[in-house]
Amino acid sequence: MVRHIIPKTLQEALTYLSEGTFKIMAGGTDLMIQKRSTAGLPPKIGQDVIYLFNLAELRYVSRGDGYLKIGAMTPLEDIYHHPDTPELLKKVIYEMASPGIRHMATMAGNIGNASPAGDSLVALYVLDARIKLQSISGERILPISDVIIGVRKTIIRPDELIAEILIPVDNFNVIVWRKVGGRRADAISKVSFAALIKRNAEVIKDIRIAFGAVSPTVVRSRQIEAELNGKSITELRNMLPSILEKYATAIRPIDDQRSSAHYRRQVASNMLRHLIEKEI
Amino acid sequence: MFDKSKSSPKIDHDEKCSGSARYVSDIQIDGMLFAKTVRSPITKGIIRSIAIPALPDGYYIVDHHDILSQNFVKMIYKDWPVFAVDEVNYIGEPIMLVVGPDKAVLETIIANIKIGYEETEPTFGFTKSAVTKGFKKGDVESAFSKAKTIIEETFETGYQEQAYIEPQGMLGYPEGDKITLIGSIQCPYYVKNAVLNCLGYPEDQVRVIQPPVGGAFGGKEEFPSTIACQLATAIAKIKQPIKLIFEREEDMLVTTKRHPSITKMRAALDSDNRVIGLSAEVSIDGGAYIGLSGVVLSRALIAVTGAYTIPNLTANGNVYITNTVPTGAFRGFGAPQMMFAIEMMMNHIPKRLGLDPLEFRLKHLAKQGDLTSTSGLFRDPIIMPKMIDKAIQISDYKQKMEKYAHDATRGIGMSFFLHGCGFTGSGETTIIKAKVKLRKDEHDQVYVLVAAVDMGQGCRTSLHRVVYQTMDLPPQQVTFDYPDTDDVPDSGPTVASRTMMIVGGLLARASLKLKQTWKPGIKQEIIEQYVQPSYVVWDEDKLQGDAYPAYSWGVNVVEVSVCPLTYQVKLEGIWSVYDVGKTIDERIVIGQADGGIAQGVAYGYLEVMEAKQGKLKQKNFTDYIIPTSLDMAPTETVLYDNPFAYGPYGAKGVGELTLVGGAPAVAMAIENAIRRPINRIPATPELIMETLGHE
Amino acid sequence: MNKITFTLNHQPVALELDPSMRLLDVLRDHFKLTGSKEGCGEGECGACSVLVNGRVVNSCCLPLGNVNGQEVVTIEEFAKTKRYQVLKDAFHDEGGSQCGICTPGMIMAAESLLNQNPHPSDEEIRIGLSGNLCRCTGYNMIVKAVHLAAKKGAGLW
Repeated sequence: MVRHIIPKTLQEALTYLSEGTFKIMAGGTDLMIQKRSTAGLPPKIGQDVIYLFNLAELRYVSRGDGYLKIGAMTPLEDIYHHPDTPELLKKVIYEMASPGIRHMATMAGNIGNASPAGDSLVALYVLDARIKLQSISGERILPISDVIIGVRKTIIRPDELIAEILIPVDNFNVIVWRKVGGRRADAISKVSFAALIKRNAEVIKDIRIAFGAVSPTVVRSRQIEAELNGKSITELRNMLPSILEKYATAIRPIDDQRSSAHYRRQVASNMLRHLIEKEI
Repeated sequence: MFDKSKSSPKIDHDEKCSGSARYVSDIQIDGMLFAKTVRSPITKGIIRSIAIPALPDGYYIVDHHDILSQNFVKMIYKDWPVFAVDEVNYIGEPIMLVVGPDKAVLETIIANIKIGYEETEPTFGFTKSAVTKGFKKGDVESAFSKAKTIIEETFETGYQEQAYIEPQGMLGYPEGDKITLIGSIQCPYYVKNAVLNCLGYPEDQVRVIQPPVGGAFGGKEEFPSTIACQLATAIAKIKQPIKLIFEREEDMLVTTKRHPSITKMRAALDSDNRVIGLSAEVSIDGGAYIGLSGVVLSRALIAVTGAYTIPNLTANGNVYITNTVPTGAFRGFGAPQMMFAIEMMMNHIPKRLGLDPLEFRLKHLAKQGDLTSTSGLFRDPIIMPKMIDKAIQISDYKQKMEKYAHDATRGIGMSFFLHGCGFTGSGETTIIKAKVKLRKDEHDQVYVLVAAVDMGQGCRTSLHRVVYQTMDLPPQQVTFDYPDTDDVPDSGPTVASRTMMIVGGLLARASLKLKQTWKPGIKQEIIEQYVQPSYVVWDEDKLQGDAYPAYSWGVNVVEVSVCPLTYQVKLEGIWSVYDVGKTIDERIVIGQADGGIAQGVAYGYLEVMEAKQGKLKQKNFTDYIIPTSLDMAPTETVLYDNPFAYGPYGAKGVGELTLVGGAPAVAMAIENAIRRPINRIPATPELIMETLGHE
Repeated sequence: MNKITFTLNHQPVALELDPSMRLLDVLRDHFKLTGSKEGCGEGECGACSVLVNGRVVNSCCLPLGNVNGQEVVTIEEFAKTKRYQVLKDAFHDEGGSQCGICTPGMIMAAESLLNQNPHPSDEEIRIGLSGNLCRCTGYNMIVKAVHLAAKKGAGLW
């Protein structure tokens, strides 16, 4: 007999998670579809379910300790409207899915689902987001890149829930987001591109580049970035061929029902080239 | 943008807005059972074994053993089984229904049904022809032998899925020996006749009722007959009400779609750079069973010269059978494939020769008095030059062509096209023989009795208006209920852009008769049957003569921007000019214009459905992309009158015309932007990238 | 068995049903409220749109457990309001409804939009409706209808 738990408090939720193995139901926009049966029947989740979507304790957007802290069950639309939300994340949410989905989708769901094409994840990687995982025995805060390890695979333990997303408060001179979907709304990305750049006159202080939907997880290379930081704009432009080649090696696009590896590869390269040649 | 004074209040508006309109899946009948279909998972093979688990009380299997008379779905050929017997020919082919009261139990039963197949070699591609058609005009050999220039090109089009928002479904119930079906359908009598054929029942023992239908676009023309035969067989066996509603993925995978096509065109030009001969070879993929593919091929071949007059012509084509989902009717019915081919051909030829494409195409436009492709006659005035001027004016076409000539990110394209209204050839007289009825009761309420289905195109409103307007009655005195075959005569299927022109025409005549013979307080009935105008002479075997009684004409202009980084296309503006004879209801016609061009343009650049080894890669709304509100550009449409003598108030066909020109217009816009030829649609970003050589 | 309590169309309800059931099925099969339609079952078409706490959501991917303690309004209830009358009339005038299957969802999405933004621009309307697919109209007449409703219903939102 499958149990369905709708906890009233975070503490209650953590207690249940410590005592059993549950599928966490956030907004449901991914899980309800992935597991769906037929019209009229409930989805085939196949295990106990715990419903965290309405936990008020996990819904907030606030600032503290140099971070923007987002409660993991905050609907994306609310994150979008909050004045403190970083511009990059706003740009990403603005183009995601549809209003109906944005009213229900959450970062908890996006991270837990760990889809290779997840748009918000690209923003989180490039914003150096940290994820707070909470259990009855405590909490751990990890970089997003440590949390997601593969297609729909995370290191989240069965007794943990995603409690909070912490984004370092920061300012950038250049903020780029390009979502390439099949149409102008309601589309799964074929390839996506995010870049944040801080510069001091002509010198790059901090450059961050990430690609989505071209690998099992978001592609961001601190190694390549380290070679670019501290360079001047001119130097960077001279390095363009090697930058393109390095990222070409880092991404592993595939053919699927949405697009081709060729297209993804070429478009990723185009967007990167355009960043270096025209946007930095 | 349309004249509201020339539009009637929509009869069914309130119920549709409030959610109280009851589409088939909204209807519940006490004691109703549910049915789910068990389908082939393989493309081709022999059924070697079927093991059914023990069924709980009240659960049934319905398969070919339960067929009472004929195990084929009556269309034109007899090859389409109701239930597979010992072989399957496409992924998704229905083998049996499982019927019972609890959906969860049905799922369990289905999961435990074990069918053993011996897979055999499937056929894909254009190799196995099932239908061959062709015709000639003039002397094409001579034209080619005298030609100064010969140009040859090949054009390809892909699948298009109707993507009506209401999935297919049907509900049926027994009343004594009679079976009643309520279905999301376009053609009550197609369904009734198919069921009569399958069950061998007498005519008065099958009744078909049409409820509100949530979109159809041809996808519910012939396909529902399959569901109906299966459901009726089940009801005859089990003698209880049964509901069968498709899931979206199921619908997308197993129902009919637009035929993928390859068209090879060869044009012969004389020393004045005039096309004096055209040879066209058309190949369409019919899927596993022929269905209506032969008629689609006919219409395609007839449409091969588009809006132009070409004096010498040979058009040949084949329907190829493959082990993929059977293809079928979709708004346009073979014409969209051909309008793409001929428009691109007539655009590519002048470009290759360094001539102005617009002037070249204008030079070849058909004129009144010209012979059609099948050597019939364009009897009626053709006002295309005026329409083209208007389209150029409202879209700023010429200025933009100049402005964008050196801008690889912007382009504008214009298509010319026509659509033959009504059934191809002699279908109206030999097959349909449409009949309409007006009944007046003793309270002087007039009932419009036709089988025409309002699937959103507004025919309930517009045909209603034809009747009350002709009779000079207030609208409330005329009633147009949803068709019920127990009550309405067979006025023919709601297809082929025939509803206003043919059915409306009959209603106008019947209305006039009733008005002239009106007896207040007395029950009266007027029946009017279709008589083909005597000038329409057609040879079905040779495909010669007047293929249609009338033609509607159109011009579409589409402006696009193409992103140099991602090759994505954004629609910037759409302008259209149409001649549909006479606009009965402007709001409805503009609605058809907006909706049709959205589908037509998306066919050209957005909608992708591909089959790989017989398996469709896109099977839901996530993967099969249709436009959202953000994808559409503003549209401007101008309607011109050009009355047709045999249509009500001069009206011709509208429904399909507004789709067939969209794809070539957007393809030409993309071509003009990227300055490379487009020979294949959908012109996706991937294709654009490949065309630009950016791989 | 879980008890899910919420407000449905301004009435308190308490259900002992599987909380993972789709709200769409609860509305259609349990409450016989068939105004919300199933067009795709995967959150793409918006034909299943309802309002939760005044905001449009896709009821086909909303589990019953997630409406516990929330306010759900369906088209049947919204159709009793003045705002609905204005939208309905505007949809009529501008030809925003053809086959009608998407219309209740469009109206719910329009209400959600106008609730947040009573005077939306063309682009904002298109974004507000971007989760509702229509195959009949090509959208432009629907966008005009929402414009007209915003104008005629000034003060209602």
